[in-house]
Parts: sequence; C-alpha cells; structure tokens
Amino acid sequence: MSHSTTRAEYRWVRADLKARRAQALLTVLAVAGIVTALITAATLLEDGTNPWRGLFLRGNGAHVWIHTKDAPDPATLKALDGVTDVAGPYRAAPATLVQGGKKTPVALQEMAPVLPAVGRPLVREGRWLDPSDPDGVVVERSFARAAGLRTGGPFSVTGLNGASHGLTVIGLAESGDQGFYPEWTPGLAWTLTGTLEQVEPALGRSESVTGLRLADPDATSLIVQRTITKLAGQVQRVSTWREAQDSMELDNRLLGVLLALFGAAGLVAAALAIANATGGRVLGQQRDIATLKSLGFTRRQVVRMLLAEHGTLGLAGIALGVLCGRLITAYALGETVAVPLSPAPLLAIALGTALVVLVAVWLPAWRGGRTPPIPAAPTAPPRGHLSRMARLALLVRLPPALVLGARDAFTRRLPAVMTTFGLAVPMMMITIGLGCWASLDAFKSHPEQVGQAAALTVRPGNLTSAVANQLALADPDVVSAYPGTEVDALVPGQTRTVRARAVGTITDPYPYSVVEGRLYRDRGEAVAGQGLLDLLNVRIGDRTRLTIGGTPLIVRIVGRVLEPEQDGEVLSVALDSFAPKDALPPQFYSLVLRQGADPAAVRSRLQTRSLEVSQAVNPADRLSVIRVIIIALVGVLALLGLANLLTASALGLRDHAVDLAVLKAMGLTPRQVMGTLVTGTGLLAVIGVVAGALAGAFVSSGLIDLQGAASGIGAGIGRAPAPMTLLLAVLTVIGAALLVALIPARRAARARIPVTPR
Amino acid sequence: MTTASGPSAIHTVNLVKIYQTGGLPVHAVRGIDLRVEHGEFVAIMGPSGSGKSTLVHMLGGLDTRTSGEIWVDGRRADTLNESAWAILRRQKIGFVFQFFNLVDNMTVADNVELPALLGGASPKHARERREYLLTELGLTDKADAAPAQLSGGEQQRVALARALANQPHVLLADEPTGNLDSRNTRDVLRLLGEVHRQGQTIVMVTHDARVAGLADRVVTLLDGQIVDDGAVAHVRRRPKGGAGDVVELRG
Repeated sequence: MSHSTTRAEYRWVRADLKARRAQALLTVLAVAGIVTALITAATLLEDGTNPWRGLFLRGNGAHVWIHTKDAPDPATLKALDGVTDVAGPYRAAPATLVQGGKKTPVALQEMAPVLPAVGRPLVREGRWLDPSDPDGVVVERSFARAAGLRTGGPFSVTGLNGASHGLTVIGLAESGDQGFYPEWTPGLAWTLTGTLEQVEPALGRSESVTGLRLADPDATSLIVQRTITKLAGQVQRVSTWREAQDSMELDNRLLGVLLALFGAAGLVAAALAIANATGGRVLGQQRDIATLKSLGFTRRQVVRMLLAEHGTLGLAGIALGVLCGRLITAYALGETVAVPLSPAPLLAIALGTALVVLVAVWLPAWRGGRTPPIPAAPTAPPRGHLSRMARLALLVRLPPALVLGARDAFTRRLPAVMTTFGLAVPMMMITIGLGCWASLDAFKSHPEQVGQAAALTVRPGNLTSAVANQLALADPDVVSAYPGTEVDALVPGQTRTVRARAVGTITDPYPYSVVEGRLYRDRGEAVAGQGLLDLLNVRIGDRTRLTIGGTPLIVRIVGRVLEPEQDGEVLSVALDSFAPKDALPPQFYSLVLRQGADPAAVRSRLQTRSLEVSQAVNPADRLSVIRVIIIALVGVLALLGLANLLTASALGLRDHAVDLAVLKAMGLTPRQVMGTLVTGTGLLAVIGVVAGALAGAFVSSGLIDLQGAASGIGAGIGRAPAPMTLLLAVLTVIGAALLVALIPARRAARARIPVTPR
Repeated sequence: MTTASGPSAIHTVNLVKIYQTGGLPVHAVRGIDLRVEHGEFVAIMGPSGSGKSTLVHMLGGLDTRTSGEIWVDGRRADTLNESAWAILRRQKIGFVFQFFNLVDNMTVADNVELPALLGGASPKHARERREYLLTELGLTDKADAAPAQLSGGEQQRVALARALANQPHVLLADEPTGNLDSRNTRDVLRLLGEVHRQGQTIVMVTHDARVAGLADRVVTLLDGQIVDDGAVAHVRRRPKGGAGDVVELRG
C-alpha cells in the first residue's frame, strides 16, 4: 500500500472523527474508565497483598541488615561489589516494654533526628525524633497497634540493668526493613542516641545494625556471603528483604477473586459498548462506505480504516485510563497506596484491554468491509410490519406511539440484541456489585453467620487459664467463653501443615456456622473449611489422618463450616478430641459477646484487667476496598450503558428519520412522534435493565459463593441485594435511560424533517 | 478484444445478470454485447427496470455478473475479485451517481482529492489536480465547504470533479441529472459535454431523451436486452456551440 493510499484512509478517518466528536469522546471515556478502574483495583490489590513493596520503595530501604557485635566500618561495606549504599551502623539494644503488669520485649534502635537517605522509616502519625525532646521514641506502627501504644502515650522501658525509664511515644512510623509485629519480633522503637545510652549504658549488651542497599536485589545471598567473609566472624545475624517481604505478605485471595471478577465483567461490558458504538456507526455509514468502495477502496482498506478509527479511540482510552489510574493511585489514594502498580500487571491490563477493544471493533469493521459498493441502494432498515399483536394493541387503544415505537425497537434484530445485552450486562454487574455490598454488610452485622462468632480472643498471659476465664466471663458484655487451642497439624502426604483448632467441647460446642453436613457430636468427628477440603481433596463423610506433635489424630469430617481464617485451611474439632497434652491448659478463650456490644470497648476493659485480648479481624474489613471498587464500577458501568443508549438512539433516529416525516404527515403530534422514538429505544433499555437485574439477582449470591469457595472461606457467604435496593437501582437506571432517550427524540420530533433521500 | 485502432474502452460479451429475490430468479440483464470505443459518449436509455443501472454497475464492478464477459481497456475484468475491481476502478473508472454520494463528513476539497490519493498521487499533485478541477467546474470558492452546504447542482459538480480526479479511461454516470432541477441539469450536462470534447469516454444512464440527445450514440434497453443502438445524428451539427446551448435551445 502506497503512502498516499494511507493518506486517503487517514483523511477519511479524520473527517469522520471530527464529525462525531462527542460520540468519539464517550468511547474514549468509557474505555478509559474501565482501564482506570482495573488499574486502581489491581494497585489496591497489589498493595494490600504486598505492603512491603511500597514501604521499601518509599523508605529507600536497605536490602540486607547485618547485626554485628561491634560497629563495622561503613566504608568497607560500601566498597563491596554490588553494594550501592549503606545505612547506619546503628546501635540497637534489647529492652522490656512495661504496660501495667504486662512486659513485652522490645528492640530500641538509635536514629538521627534527620532521617537517613537509606532505610528511612516512614512517619505515619506524630513526628520524628527531635533533639529537644530526648524522652521521645518513635514506635513501629504494627507493634504500636498490637501493644496499644498511641502517640503522646507513655512508653516505659526497663533496661537489662533493671532501671526503668519513662519515655513518651511521639510518633508512629512504618518501615520496609523488617516485617510486621507479631510475625516479626521483637517490636521496634527508634530513639535518639542519648536516650539509648541512658536505657542501656553497657556497650557490651547492645549490637550494631547496618543496612546495605544493593544494586541487584537478586544478588542478595551472594552479597550476604561476601559480607560475612569480609566481617570475619563478627556477624551475629543477617536479615534480608525476602524475609521482610514474606512476613508482610497477606493472603487476600477472596479480594483478588472478587476484583478479577469485576475486572473481567467490566471488560465484557466495555467490549459490548465498543462493539455497539462501532457497529452503530458502521451501520450509519453504510452509504459512505459504499461510496468509498465505488471510488476504489478495497474491502481490506475499509476494514483497516474502520479498525484504525475505532481502534484508535479504544487505544486512546487505554492510554488515558493508564494515565488516570496512575494519577488516582498517586494522588487520590496517595495515603493508602504507596507505590504505583508494578509493570507486569499494568502491561497485562493495557494489553488485555487493547485486545478486547480490537476484537470488539473487528467484527463491525469486518461487516463494514462487506458493504456492497453500490451506494445508490438506499440503506433503509428491514421493514417491520404491524403484527397481529400490534393490531390488537391498537384495537384496545394502547397509545399508537407505544405500538409504533415497539415495532421500531426490533426492526434491526442484531443491534436490538446488542443494545439489550449492552445494557443487561452492566445492569447485571451492578446487581452483583450490590450483592457483594449486601454480603459485606452481612459480614459486618452478623459475623457469627460467616464463622466468626467470637469477636475477641483472650489469652491468659501470666494468669492461669481458669482465672482468665473467670475474669473474661465477669464482663457484662461477654455471653460465653469457649476454651480453645490451636496447633499446626501435619497433613498426610504433604510437606505442609494446616491449622487444627479445638474450641469448645462436645457438650458445649463453639457456635460454628455449619453450611453443609452437621457439627461434630463426638470425639473423632471434625468440621472443616472449604480450603481444607480442597487441600486434602476430601469430602464430608471422609476420614482423614493428621499428625499433631507426633500424636496421630484420626477424624471423620462431618460438616463444612464457613472459615474466614487461613484461607479456610482449618480443621475444627472439639477440645476433647485432642490429646490432653495438646489440649490442656487451653491456650485461649474465644469470647462471644452480647449482640450489639462494642468489641473494642470490651477489649479495652479486659485489657485493664491484664488480660491479653485480641480482636478478630472481620473479613469485611479486609475487603473494605471492594466497596470503593463497587462504587467506581457502578460509575464506569453507567458510562458504558450511556454509550450503548446513545448509540441505540442515534441509530434509531437515523433509521426512522424518513418514517418520522411520514408519521407527521399521517397526523401524529410531535409528542406522539417523540413517544414513538423514546419507546423505540426505551423498550430495549427496559428489557435490558430488567433482564440484567434479574440475572444479576439470580446469580449474585451463587457467584459470591463460588468466589467464597475459591478463596477457601467456602460457599454460603453470598447474599442477594435487598429487594428494595434492587428495585430502586432498576428504577433509577430505567429513568435515566428514558431521559437519555428523550433528549434526542425531543429534538427530532420538533425538527422539520425533509422527505428526501439522504 | 482489439480493433484496428486498439482496444475498446469497454466491451461486453453476452453479459447476463440474474438476481435471486425470494427464490425467484429475476433476469435484469439478458445477454448484452456492447462495445464502447475510446472517446465515445454513450447514453443508455430505457424505462424503469430495463436493467440500465445494473448494466452500468456491472461495467464498473459494483455488481457481479452472472455470466458473460466484461473487458475494460483490453483487459478481461469480469473474472476479477472484489479487491482487484476496486483497484481497477481507482485507475480507470470514474463514477457519478444520481444522489451525488459525497462523503458528508469531508470537505469538498477532500472529497475530490480522495480518489487521487487513493490512486497513488502525492498530496501535492492531488491538491493541484483538485484545484484545477474545481476551477474548471467553477467551484473554487467552495473547496472548504461541507457537501451539505452546497446545492444539488453544486454537489453533482463536485461528484463529477471527484470522478474525474484520476483521469479515468471511462466515466460511468448513473442518472447524473435524475435528482436535479432543469437549470442544474443544464450545468451538469454542459460539463459532461466539455469533458467529452476533451476526449473523455462516457457511459451515461438516463431515462430522459433530451439528456440522451447529448450523446454520440444512444443504446436503448428493454427488459435487459438492447433493442436499439444508434448514433445520434445531430451531435456534431453545431461544432462551435456547447452541449449546454443545445439543451438551452430545447429547454
């Protein structure tokens, strides 16, 4: 193809785009919206599952931390091949944090008032160390949360020599250099050099911590080896970024599965919208395309031109979406998201969407290419005729506008189907989104229904378990306390362990939410989460054999429970089933609270009685980001629906422009003409929306259950959206659709339409 | 198919077109043998449904033939596929339609330049050719207008300019005046006459005898067959006057 041939194509594309700026913009926006939503979702997911990455990047973290007896010479370390920078050496000393009667080991580490370039803690609350406040410490945030430390609160530590120091928390900071507490112990607090010397004057009881930033993170182990050799026998311990990352990684499979579903559905909706917009446009351009062919455009050229035009819109949308996604994650979500999406998923989203766009555009373009080259043939729609039904409708005096509009709606079969689907799919997704919302609400308001009957867990700590039990039960909001123990059990034929949990007894079982089978009634019976059933490939009624601390445990699985923890890979038995050495004394008590009690309040009350209390994390809290996604998704889907509607109404107008003049000539008032047009588009919209809502309501709880099963929690978590919510959504969408159809119809009905061939 | 003076511009042998509509075969064209020489102006006449548009569409490859042969400029064309026809049209055939069929979204200038660009001309050459044609057709000031802003006659003149952009061997016109008032008809016919005098081969479909009177030769179709084929005696009668004058005198 010569250069000027391409230029001919280019001119036509440019002219066509100019002539329909608004529609083109809408297509771009729809695609951009989808891509933005996908990127935002993926970023949130990535950040939620791998917080280390963001922390490390923002804090310019060190890949390797070396603990030595004496401070090494930073220059020697920096001279090592592959080391780009060095943090420290910092002096660190162990101490004990004293809170009431509770003592927690803590590591104090010196830091300068000016944050270093490498291995920089990120201050999240309060402020950084200040020489004018020598008693101030900055505490690592996950540790502070677990220990209940607050900015401005006391931080009393005891050094190894027994002396107490009343320090104050002046700030909370995060760091990618070590994992979260309690997976990574001891907890970390940063102090000024002088403060550290006061708490631990003896240099011999402290160690030196030096961070190395590497040019190539993959060379970590090699460099660790070299450092150990270099520092000849001084190195006590080394921690690397891999350990930090591993300890921070959260398993968020449910979130991932949900986001993937929304993403896929969004892509389908976008594909439909683009196919519709392109298809409608190509249909409207049939005469122009025929003319071009009569001028000597080949079929391939026409296809290429259409692909280029509509594909470019899609690709522009993708580019815009990537930009918006980046901006949103950088600014709007700057607080929650530390770093932009990594290149691999970004590329996957961009390329995946591009592929979807091209496929969606290709079919209409191919149809366009097959347009016969005789432009003289008028491109009238296939003639519909008044059916018997319509005659009957007119006979019973239905408004003629309604009857004519209903006839018009289906004159072009394929576009009618496409429009209906184009609206049904977004509506279905909106309904599923509402279902997710309802499920999250159910998680939140009835955690006991998703396997989280106990809001709090009490560990006896220094007390005996009986005393702890009594103390807990003494609280007015605590209804019952179930003694429990959790151990790791070896799985037969697997190199890994699963959690075996024994809470409650046979006579007083823990209120599990059993969704299949029944609860255990005897020793040797157990219930399990979906994750465990999948892992062991067993079904309810099967026997399984686990090994707990050398003792075999043979149980028959009699039921499936909703299991929000450990991806559902948990086997639950009665405490009596465990060997006494494993079961007694119970490690903890699971507390079921009075309905409506505030777990946080109960927790702090119990904590004052020197009980170790932890609050269960509601699965919905981990999924709260889904709500943002749902809202964004509804917005994008609405945009897609709008694009579909505008295409449909534009096509309707074009097809019926001549008919309208005839209708007017027959004596229809402008209002009736308008009614005809609105019915033509609106009918499809109503069918699409209602079908979509019904389909959505039908599948949403099943789908969420499916996701629950995939994520290990297990089926049984899904809720359909409340009927009133759904009805409201349907009415809103239909109202909006009719409004959108009304505006062009109104204009058309008032315009004087010439009765000439176009 | 060559004659003593070289190949004919268009030559058909036993050309047949049968449409299948609803299972019933409709014989639109039944065995037409037609030879159009270079520089000839042939008018094809006949009542509605006599197959004249179908014939012209087949000559330009817009419609496929059922059987028979089509030769364009000494080259067999009926066996070409759709793309090859498109390329042939680019190079050798210009079309003018009843309803002008300008691309609405493009300016007059772009409409005229499009075939030239498509034919491989450089943008500069395409522009020069367009400027020349628009000047010749008196549309210089309309170059940047949208087709919708022009009158019917002006639109048909633009369509003519577009058809001539690639200096085609044959200009096929399907009822070019069918949608014009008498004054615009006169203008368009005058232009057709002028290009014909410059040596342009033209095949024009019309049902208007006065319009056909402009041609060198009138071929009359009835039910898809040639019923009359004869030269028009008076065409060269007034060599100094233009075709427009003839029409003017008669109209």
